[in-house]
Amino acid sequence: MDEEKEALKATIRDALRMIVDPEIGGSLVDLGLIYDIAVEEGGIARITMTTTTRGCPASSFLTEAVEHCVSAVAGIEHAHVRLTYEPPWTPQMMVET
Amino acid sequence: MQGGTLSRWTMSYFAAACLMFVLGQGMMLAGYGHPAAAASAPETLVLVHVIAIGWLSLLMAGALLQFVPVLVARSLVGGQLAAPALVLLLVGLLCLVAGFVALSGALDLPLGLLPFGAALLVLGFGLIAAVLTVTLIAARPLPLPASFVAVGLVSLLGTILLGAVFSFALSGLTGDTWPLRLVTGGVPLHAMLGLGGWLSLTAVGVSYRLLAMFLLAPEVERPTSRAVWWAGTLAIGLVAGCVPLVVFAFPGTEMLVSVAMAFTLVAVLLYGGDVVKLYRTRKRKQPELNIHASFAAFAALTFSVLFFNLPELRAGEAAPALVYLFVFGWLSGLGLAQLYKIIAFLTWLETYGPILGRVPVPRVQDLVDERQARLWFWLYYGSVAAAGLALLTGVGLFFRACVFLQLVATLGVMREFVRARRLSSVPAALRVPPGVIRPNLFLPVFTLWR
Repeated sequence: MDEEKEALKATIRDALRMIVDPEIGGSLVDLGLIYDIAVEEGGIARITMTTTTRGCPASSFLTEAVEHCVSAVAGIEHAHVRLTYEPPWTPQMMVET
Repeated sequence: MQGGTLSRWTMSYFAAACLMFVLGQGMMLAGYGHPAAAASAPETLVLVHVIAIGWLSLLMAGALLQFVPVLVARSLVGGQLAAPALVLLLVGLLCLVAGFVALSGALDLPLGLLPFGAALLVLGFGLIAAVLTVTLIAARPLPLPASFVAVGLVSLLGTILLGAVFSFALSGLTGDTWPLRLVTGGVPLHAMLGLGGWLSLTAVGVSYRLLAMFLLAPEVERPTSRAVWWAGTLAIGLVAGCVPLVVFAFPGTEMLVSVAMAFTLVAVLLYGGDVVKLYRTRKRKQPELNIHASFAAFAALTFSVLFFNLPELRAGEAAPALVYLFVFGWLSGLGLAQLYKIIAFLTWLETYGPILGRVPVPRVQDLVDERQARLWFWLYYGSVAAAGLALLTGVGLFFRACVFLQLVATLGVMREFVRARRLSSVPAALRVPPGVIRPNLFLPVFTLWR
């Protein structure tokens, strides 16, 4: 069961690589903007994410995009996205610019 | 509010501002106002207010409606007042300008247009200031960039109230002596509060956040940045303190202005140091054109404030050239450079934000063509510097030739704005994916926002 969840988390992470931050150009995953991915029973995914800037005008679009993208992953029935600024994102969290 | 939203009318503010900037430069090209007329002539007042209110203040107001919520991470309170405020500001400016034209004697118009226009401007700016102030108050304690905006808004109120008094005095509606004393001795204070307090301090505050955002630099509130706020606020306080001295005909104005100028220089030098630190600590390897194009504006700011600290230059024949460098090099240069980025950014959000994550979309940078725009910015700053020199040397024809080039460069940069709005630089395969609503040039798409 745990293996299934881990596999689903990996699939979700891969799926999220298609969402690119419009400003920087890298994927949300590579920029370190996806803080946590959790999968619960019943195909419920909980994503904790941030944006590069608190109050960023793109944030609602980014969270909606993540929700839509994760919901489309096979085996996921529902996606909950939580936007957080704790800890605030720093450029050091990026894999590469 | 965790995330931000799009300001519905910001693009309309920007479009109106750009039109006014073209109009103002067109007037200078036609030889209207200074240097063909005296610096205090009504024709020059027309020109100055088209640039200061029409271009710079509308640009700043539109930008603040979008970015104050970013600065304080809260929604704008009363954002629906943005549209009526824009109408009030445009009609108010038109009436004010018509009043100055009447004052020049070129047209037989009622002088009452001056206070009427000023009253509309007080209302329009009052609405903007109210919306932003309530938003800021709800977000206390304020982060440092927002504190700059707060001082800028207080300066704006001081500027427009002084202007309103001038309009009553110039139209002859009041016979009291104190408004006339203000007209005689208070115009430089009106200009310093407007150009220094409202436009510059606000621009500096917002730039701390935007530069960190666009450079991917750590957003740290440095002691030097706080010192910039203190020095700038003290300078504005000293200038405001000169107003009662002028009203009651007390001496000491020149001394207070000199001290204010020294504080301003300290603020500018510290700000320059902060900008360099932000640039050096950036994570973004290749800064975009808006950053490089802003450097020339920072240089113009430093140069003009440095020379304003010399009383013989401030009060002498060099003053118009220094003011020109400040207004067109610093404020307008920074405005054009940041607009170049902001328009592409907001257009991306409006167009591709709703379909993000569903289909491949371009990046913000795909909406612009930096090679073209870079040439226009070079021409712009080069012609501003040359026009400043022309004002120093007093060659009117040379000045107008420089303004012509400056206007060409401005139109070139604005063409890039229009290309960004029209998605012209976006690769055809990505330009209009299914579900995309093309943005209007400057009006909101009414089905997109509720």
